[in-house]
Amino acid sequence: MATLQIDGTDRTPQVCFDFDNNRFSLVGESYPEDVAEFYGDLLSQLTAHFDTLRGEALQFDFNLVYFNSSTAKVVMRLFEALEEAAQQENRVVVNWHHEEDDDNMREMGEEFSEDLHKAQFNLLVKEG
Amino acid sequence: MQTHELLPFRKNLSEQGVILCYNGLMTEEILSGIGATIKHKMATGHTDKQVARGLFSLFVEQVQNVIRYSVEKETAPHGNGTEEVTLRYGLLVVGMESDRYFVACGNMVDKQDVAKLHGNLTHIKSLDAEGLKALFRSTLKGETPSGSLGAGVGFIDIARRATRGFEFDFADVDEAHSYFSIKAYI
Repeated sequence: MATLQIDGTDRTPQVCFDFDNNRFSLVGESYPEDVAEFYGDLLSQLTAHFDTLRGEALQFDFNLVYFNSSTAKVVMRLFEALEEAAQQENRVVVNWHHEEDDDNMREMGEEFSEDLHKAQFNLLVKEG
Repeated sequence: MQTHELLPFRKNLSEQGVILCYNGLMTEEILSGIGATIKHKMATGHTDKQVARGLFSLFVEQVQNVIRYSVEKETAPHGNGTEEVTLRYGLLVVGMESDRYFVACGNMVDKQDVAKLHGNLTHIKSLDAEGLKALFRSTLKGETPSGSLGAGVGFIDIARRATRGFEFDFADVDEAHSYFSIKAYI
């Protein structure tokens, strides 16, 4: 499967889903006009791919500057999918990047991570 | 409106600490444009970064709320004319009162929805940080409330971001409609 790459815009994140190497990332802003339209297909592709994985190592990087409450629902779905992948004997690492002084973004990561048990969660402060 | 009307209007706005005020069709383009302007304004001032981020978030949630739920609307042809787009009206005010910023929005709602909205907001307003966190999580996990186009968590997010509190109010407009307003402080 190829790599799915979408450029970021003012209101949607850069998406990079490297299905061959199981490395996934969302980078930038997320407050799309229509959350379902932007994320719907991405979520189904991702969960369909995760369902096929056994004994793999996968990494998901959340590197968001801002996301709205509709996006929060998508993030929660992603965390659920990542935890399910971890339950299926995959080694799952979830990296949550935030700016050092962005308490809210850090806390959001911590809250979402409460759903992770088998998946490994890392809070990472952005450099510079 | 001529200058002799606009000047007192402007004076009145500025006396109330208004930084930015918009009334009319509330569209995604307006959200993008004013959003970028708010970011510029925050970046050029001496505003704390946490406050700036929170203010932007309050702005996005409130404006998206108007775009999705205002019942004062009109439909217009879109693109080649086979599709229709719904345009909704609302009011946005961003300003500063003493040492706190505020974001306020107003829009028309159906009178029959007032009791439910009032109940939801009263409940959200009564919660402390832990309660809001719990409600945010359960709402994200649960089914989207009926009639909701978004995740149904916008108001909870507003309450969490409004570090200096928020107020809301309704006023009767006619037999079928009320005007709803919300003002969040940070």
